[in-house]
Amino acid sequence: MVDFLIGLFLATLIVALFTTRLYRLIFWYSMNSLILGFLALSIGSALDDRSMLITGIATILIKAIGIPYLLKNLGSKFHFVRQIQPEIKVQYSIILIPAILVFTFYLAEPITHMIHGNANYIAISISSLFLSLLLMMEHHNVAPKIIGFLSMENALFLLGVTATDGMPMLVELGIFFDLLMAIVVINLLFHNEEANL
Amino acid sequence: MMLTLLVLPALIMFIVSFFKNKKVKFLLPVSSFAILLPIIKLFVLPKPYAIVGSYLVADKLDTYILLVSSIVGIGVTLALLTLDKHVKVSANAYRRFYRFFAIFWIGLSISILSNHMGLYWIGLELATLSTVYMIKTNHTRAAHKEAWNYMIVGAIAISLVLFGIILMYASAKPILGEEAMQFDLLLSHAKEIPSPFLFEMGFAIATVGMFVKMGFFPMNLWLANIERASFYPVAALFSGILESAVLIGFFRFSQIAMEVNYAHLFGFVFVYTLLTIFIVSFLIFRSKDFMRLFSLSGIEHMALIVLFWVSGGTFAALLHFGAHAFLKPALFLSTGVLESNGKYRIAGALQGYRGKKGTLFWFLVSLFLLAIISLPPSPMFFSELYGFGAMIETAKHSDHMLAMIAAILLLLILLSVIFYRFVAIYQSMKYEGQEEEKKVYASELFALVIFALCLVALMLPASLDYLRSIA
Amino acid sequence: MIMYLLTIVVLLLLAPILPDFIKALKMLLLYKKPVSLFQGYRNFAKLIQKETVISSETSAITRVAPFLILSPLLLILFFLPPVVQGAFYVSFVDAFTITGLIALSTFFLMLLGLDSASAFGGMGSSREAFIAALVEPAMVLTVFSVSMMSGDLGVGQAGVNLAAHFPKEHMASFLFAAISFFILLLAENGRIPVDNPETHLELTMVHEAMILDLTGVYLAIIESAASVKFVIFASLFASLFMPFGLQYTAPVAFGIFIVKLFLIATAVALIEINTAKLRLFKVPNLLGIAIVFAFLSLITFYVLGA
Repeated sequence: MVDFLIGLFLATLIVALFTTRLYRLIFWYSMNSLILGFLALSIGSALDDRSMLITGIATILIKAIGIPYLLKNLGSKFHFVRQIQPEIKVQYSIILIPAILVFTFYLAEPITHMIHGNANYIAISISSLFLSLLLMMEHHNVAPKIIGFLSMENALFLLGVTATDGMPMLVELGIFFDLLMAIVVINLLFHNEEANL
Repeated sequence: MMLTLLVLPALIMFIVSFFKNKKVKFLLPVSSFAILLPIIKLFVLPKPYAIVGSYLVADKLDTYILLVSSIVGIGVTLALLTLDKHVKVSANAYRRFYRFFAIFWIGLSISILSNHMGLYWIGLELATLSTVYMIKTNHTRAAHKEAWNYMIVGAIAISLVLFGIILMYASAKPILGEEAMQFDLLLSHAKEIPSPFLFEMGFAIATVGMFVKMGFFPMNLWLANIERASFYPVAALFSGILESAVLIGFFRFSQIAMEVNYAHLFGFVFVYTLLTIFIVSFLIFRSKDFMRLFSLSGIEHMALIVLFWVSGGTFAALLHFGAHAFLKPALFLSTGVLESNGKYRIAGALQGYRGKKGTLFWFLVSLFLLAIISLPPSPMFFSELYGFGAMIETAKHSDHMLAMIAAILLLLILLSVIFYRFVAIYQSMKYEGQEEEKKVYASELFALVIFALCLVALMLPASLDYLRSIA
Repeated sequence: MIMYLLTIVVLLLLAPILPDFIKALKMLLLYKKPVSLFQGYRNFAKLIQKETVISSETSAITRVAPFLILSPLLLILFFLPPVVQGAFYVSFVDAFTITGLIALSTFFLMLLGLDSASAFGGMGSSREAFIAALVEPAMVLTVFSVSMMSGDLGVGQAGVNLAAHFPKEHMASFLFAAISFFILLLAENGRIPVDNPETHLELTMVHEAMILDLTGVYLAIIESAASVKFVIFASLFASLFMPFGLQYTAPVAFGIFIVKLFLIATAVALIEINTAKLRLFKVPNLLGIAIVFAFLSLITFYVLGA
């Protein structure tokens, strides 16, 4: 089940790399977070770890529902450009994305001999990290960059949940706090028509 | 109790920022001095002293860096009193600046003291997110663009650091369980980590994140542009406090990595820092204004500190760090005055000061400018000597003596490029250009005097012994 | 052996119904009176009796090509995985052969389009080449990946193995291969995201453009070739990615298989209704997803074992 969900996680991230519409990108991000939440819930119930169950539910509520809704609101309020064309042409990204996958799997290969069965998960987390970086670099507009940053946080969370069977509660709370602060700062940054100058 | 005392000045600043009375801000320097009390107490207590369980532990390295960054914080608080006399800032923005400065200070004090990797990261991330707003207080288009730039790249950098932290935690979890997040336990059990490759990969990723944050290759100009587009206290905070926190993280991680696999660590960091210094020295040669000059020079000094630390010269690295953390913020704070007549006017910046305050000001700034390029008797001169000595020591134990000598020669050539440029700038500041009246305020001068006194205090035998005893 | 021959005959007979089923479902969902399901047979009968008119600029290719388009596809019908457990099947044909035969058929279709020396034909052929160039690597990778997962390179044997043992431990790669193959099914058969099978508008023609000025027997042959191609792809998808129900008795297994084919046709119809046709230069984006997913499926299987 975990394998299947991780496969879906990577699939949604790759589809997000190919879209040219902002709201579709937000939709795929929210699917990504939903799958991540289910993953946390399934691992948490297998390990009987309450904190992971709580963070799984929090992921679904905040990252899959709350943040996309917020981003859509921000988008309509600040008139984001909704057509986001990647800077890398599609024929090159067809080659680049598999190259990144091969590279990261090759990087993570020595780990497969050392850790008990979960080495694949580390490899997929690292490739998700790199693919999110690619998503950030691919577009000139600022909204996909924000979503790329949020996907990077998802990749971090995936690593924390699968590789280490849960991180200390402190760190997971810290990540959520980071996310919220980031959204607040983004909101502040968009108010560039200050009243009192 | 100790924790409350440490964050008290920042809390007072946060509360004061909500008052609309302009006279209230004169209370702040007094309250900022109060941070020295718990720190001096920490120096006296036996180390390692646990402040909050095993999350915040003060050992010798911690206390030293905390002292240095707190002095920088005090200096910046003093200089902030006259911010609106040098640049255009509205009262609202001024108060918001204080608020975010307070959050920044709290976050970084927590980071510096923390023994828990996750807590360290949280402090760093608090600091990054509050810096974004501090950059934006300057209401120009360039500042807005740079704030976005900083947000994006800074967020990527700290995410990379978190990724590295999680990988390192994962590699040590089999032996340490949930406590694998603590630096001291990791250091003592470093040789028993079951999968060194995982640890090294985590360390590499975290290091790249930290280097990007400090402005190494390829982000040199990113940092320079950010510091150019923001106010001068922000740049001072960057080079004083933020880089201290990032450096202490690097110090701790590299101590563990040195136990795991020294050769890999050394090769990676060596090549990276040499590349950075190579590029930065040529960028300094072409810089045309103060802020970029100082921030690039800051990057170069950070690279030297990292290089010395990794070669085993911990004393040299810490001495260099202390000297830099006093000199660079002082120089940044003085650019507020130096740029009174325009941003790109280097010529004649040191002329036109009248009266006792003015004379003291240009005397101090000349000393600082010459000290930062390692002219004796500045501490930087001695630290570089010790640092190169440590590098040769390391090379003696391996087969790469010739390569190390060649690298040191290259470093000396690059440092001399920087030296030449700084001396040329100093001469143009002092002897060329027209004389225009510039005004210096007492609070800024006081800040510069504090920095100068601390620099001298760094050279006392007692403090040098303390530095030698760290690791 | 009897089951084998019976399967082929049933597939051949079923071929004209499926595209009409898709069309009828679309019309039903759009509140129109649906076309009769037997319209395909009626069209075939009508076209065979019509007089065949060929343009005078064409060469001998136009007389030969329609047969060459149909025959590789008929050949592939003999290589599909079995429908009932215990039936005869050809076990040594792998992904390259199937893709190659489909490519042979496409090649002659492109030649046919170019041969009439009309602008539409050339345009259709070039677009078809553009799409085929992206579809073929993805198809090879996808079918290879599924064959790897089932343990045998031959497609027929792979189908049998998958029915015997569904690869639960390789769910991720299986899913990727399924997504990729479905996108290829849409692309190769000229369905909505890639090509509009209902109109003759210049903007949307790929397949229709190449056969624009054919009539009579040739048009009948080519239309049946298009239906047979859809049946091939649908039955490959059904045997490889939905390998259930082979263990029942022959009539039940046949019935389940035919239900699977109609399910696939329903899925295609629903996608056709809910999606707009992509701009031609956006088609590589979609096919790029297919290629990357096929690659991902292979890599996830090999490197990660998932």
